[in-house]
Amino acid sequence: MLRVDRRLLVQFDWLLVGLAGLLIVAGLLTVSTLVPRLGARQLMALGIATVAAMVLVSVDYRTLARWACWGYGLGLVTLVAVLVAGRSALGARRWIAVGPVGLQPSELFKLAFIGTLAVYLAARESHRPGWDRVLVPLALTLPAVGLIVKQPDLGTALTLLPVAVALIVVGGARWRHLGMLAGCGLAVLPVFWFLLRDYQRERILVYVDPSRDPLGSAWNVIQAKITIGSGQLWGKGLFGGTQSRLAFLPERHTDFVFAAFAESWGFLGAVALLIVYVLLVLRGFEVAATARDTLGSLLATGATVLLASQALVNLGMVTGLLPVVGIPLPFVSYGGSGLLTAVGAVALIANVRMRRFA
Amino acid sequence: MIRPRPAPAVQRARLRFLAAALGVGFLAVAGQLAHLQILSGERLAALSDRNRLRLRPIAAPRGILFDRTGLPLVDNRPAFSLMVVPRDVPDLSALLDTLAGLLQIPASELRDRLARVSSDSPWPLRLSRGLTLEEVARIEEWRLDLPGVTVEVEPQRAYPGVRFAAHLLGYVREASDADLGRSGLRRGDLVGQTGLERLHDEHLRGRDGGEQVEVDAYGRLIRVLDRREPVPGAHMRTTIDRRIQQAAEDALGARAGAVVVMDPRNGDVLALASHPAFPVERFARPLDRETWLGLVQDPTRPLLNRAVQGLYPPGSLFKVVVAAAGLQGQVITPFDRLACPRQWVFGGRPYHNWEDHDRGALTLHEALQFSCNTFFYQLGLKVGPERIAQMAQALGLGRVTDSGLTGERPGLVPSPAWKREALKDKWHPGDTVSLSIGQGLITVTPLQVARLMAAVANGGTLWKPRLVDRVVTPEGRLIREVAPEVQGRVEVAPVVFDFLRDALASVVAAGTGKAAQVPGVAVAGKTGTAQTHEFRSDADRKRRDQDHAWFAGFAPVDEPQVVIVVLAERAGLGGQVAAPIAREVLKAVFLEKVARATAPR
Repeated sequence: MLRVDRRLLVQFDWLLVGLAGLLIVAGLLTVSTLVPRLGARQLMALGIATVAAMVLVSVDYRTLARWACWGYGLGLVTLVAVLVAGRSALGARRWIAVGPVGLQPSELFKLAFIGTLAVYLAARESHRPGWDRVLVPLALTLPAVGLIVKQPDLGTALTLLPVAVALIVVGGARWRHLGMLAGCGLAVLPVFWFLLRDYQRERILVYVDPSRDPLGSAWNVIQAKITIGSGQLWGKGLFGGTQSRLAFLPERHTDFVFAAFAESWGFLGAVALLIVYVLLVLRGFEVAATARDTLGSLLATGATVLLASQALVNLGMVTGLLPVVGIPLPFVSYGGSGLLTAVGAVALIANVRMRRFA
Repeated sequence: MIRPRPAPAVQRARLRFLAAALGVGFLAVAGQLAHLQILSGERLAALSDRNRLRLRPIAAPRGILFDRTGLPLVDNRPAFSLMVVPRDVPDLSALLDTLAGLLQIPASELRDRLARVSSDSPWPLRLSRGLTLEEVARIEEWRLDLPGVTVEVEPQRAYPGVRFAAHLLGYVREASDADLGRSGLRRGDLVGQTGLERLHDEHLRGRDGGEQVEVDAYGRLIRVLDRREPVPGAHMRTTIDRRIQQAAEDALGARAGAVVVMDPRNGDVLALASHPAFPVERFARPLDRETWLGLVQDPTRPLLNRAVQGLYPPGSLFKVVVAAAGLQGQVITPFDRLACPRQWVFGGRPYHNWEDHDRGALTLHEALQFSCNTFFYQLGLKVGPERIAQMAQALGLGRVTDSGLTGERPGLVPSPAWKREALKDKWHPGDTVSLSIGQGLITVTPLQVARLMAAVANGGTLWKPRLVDRVVTPEGRLIREVAPEVQGRVEVAPVVFDFLRDALASVVAAGTGKAAQVPGVAVAGKTGTAQTHEFRSDADRKRRDQDHAWFAGFAPVDEPQVVIVVLAERAGLGGQVAAPIAREVLKAVFLEKVARATAPR
């Protein structure tokens, strides 16, 4: 099973891996200059992720897809388990202990989720698109989203929705159905408001009006803006970031790591990082467009949109464009589960690409 | 030949659509970055500096006051100050309540202090000074509940005694709003308010230094970026002799009054005591309202510096002035005699001597020696009020001595011209009678009397009282030297001064001032008992315990080295109360001579 065809190796997507590598290096550099101890841990996580990625790449994605629904089922069970017995941190139950390390099942669930939706939509390819193209994926999405929101992990839940929508779109649903879906979504939005926790509502209110509570919820937003802005054009240098190094920036090595990066590297560095993301995403779509079959196309689309939407939600939050939802920046933020997922997504795309001729 | 299977056109279009949607998102982020880092970059960079930079003032130690022998009169010691950085405090109101509870001070007082600065101020503000170790321990214990609060060590005034030389030394207070208008003063700076502390305050103060430090989000110090060392205040060498000052205060004891010791050769003030005194040490910390009101409303008036602010009728001391005026005006010679009856009637009114028997006809010398009132009534009338007033003014009465001490008062020398002018009233011969024994409207301060007596002792030179000898930086560089200053010369023939010195010597040797005798030292002086109210009966006249007791003299008679003035308020007869006090002080001054004279052979 792990025997890799030499032909496949030739087709391996070094560009994609190179782009992801750049992001990982940027993350490692930022994290380890801020909290040196965590740099080493992240490096360890990277090792594990690399091994996992090699396994993911070596197995044909069609084989992988067959297991996906099992992963999906297992994922749902662990999400329930986390709610019941998970470790809580900062008031949220997101982790579950696996030996000495804590795993975030909602992170790892994402890939199985993409696989399951892709398998279903690919299987329906030859049929005339009907409501099933919209409703079945949605039915697969909502329970998971509900469980994750319940943790509460609004950020992760929010990234699943764009992935689902992207897969439904690329999976051939009719625009008419999509439009109606969007309409329903907008109608449900107020109901969603009542499902939120108080602090989540507060974050959204603060986003609308940051002066509401300058030292409470808005502190993060204000300090993140100061951190990014004070980097100006050229940045303060790798070790010169006062905002991040002196802890004015909260969550400086996790969710707000981009602010720390932008402080050190300035506008030029931050835009360079954005360009790497854009190139990565474009490459992902190219793979999707050139995949051998619809399943591959859908898998690549899902993985790409997962990375892109997660990056965008994080960047929007850190730069103050979106309300604060706790979500890491793929590849860059400190955190093993997040890195594992991001690397896994890249592996999935690479898997599809190198088998486009097979 | 394997070719990639081209995706259906629909799928490609949809992928492009997705890519475009995400692209818009990335563009939005890039736009926001440009907005933050380029358009608002400078403003946000300034905000980030404000986040991390703090300016910590380092208080300059105030100059030390030394006495003429090099002993410290006021020193510095490290003390704890409570500081707060308003912008590091999330809830100022709650913090003040906690602090007020911990330090047992009213929250309103702390609020007043904070009200003067912005609640977002990054500069440390001093909330309290002179914290006790216990209070510091309590603050440290509550550290975690007191964000933005620090305890700094700053120099504070240290005094040799709680009340020692309180009026002379004076106190320092934080600059008031009025002070802030003056140059170089910042809020919280200590300013000398009274006494010696005020005299050369600008040199004593020094210049505060400061540190620019970097702190983290918890207000913890990360590193010092820049430091400007404080310039310590200059030291002041005064003319005071700490030993004599102590002796003067001890001799005065619990009596309200003042003692001044001066060098008649140059005007140096060797001691200047006033009792009751205020607790000068207490003034080093912020005073609370109750303490302040207690001091201000105290009927014994502890804040009054009686040596320069207390106005008293000179009583019989003034006979020296009348005698000088009579001799200089050639109204009387040392050989003329005038009667000294127990009662003398003028204008149908009896004027009494203080003794109850007739002494017969006396010379001026004898009249001074026994302080005969009835003799001086007659002499005063002969000399006339104009000449008496003129002589009094020539000897420095009726105007401030310019010692530089706070609130010094000029006193009053009444004359017919003055009375017409000020009171719109005619001068009566009875006014002259009162004036000739130093009663009536005339008032003097003890320091004025010291200057006058110094002029008698040195033959007519009016010295400006000198309190400060020099101001020197801690490294020893001379900033200011204060030379003795002659304020005037009394136009009186030398023989007149010789006569007065001789007469004053016999006052102590064989007259009313015997209690001022010091073994081994010839003392000259004049007693005075200043009446403070009208006598209503003969019995009333004999009760003298409500009178101010005076003694003013100098020693040794031949070569006067010190002038001493003692005033005891409402204490009794000058010869009985003030002269012994003078004796005790003179004993301390001439310690060695006294020891030699009393040593067993």
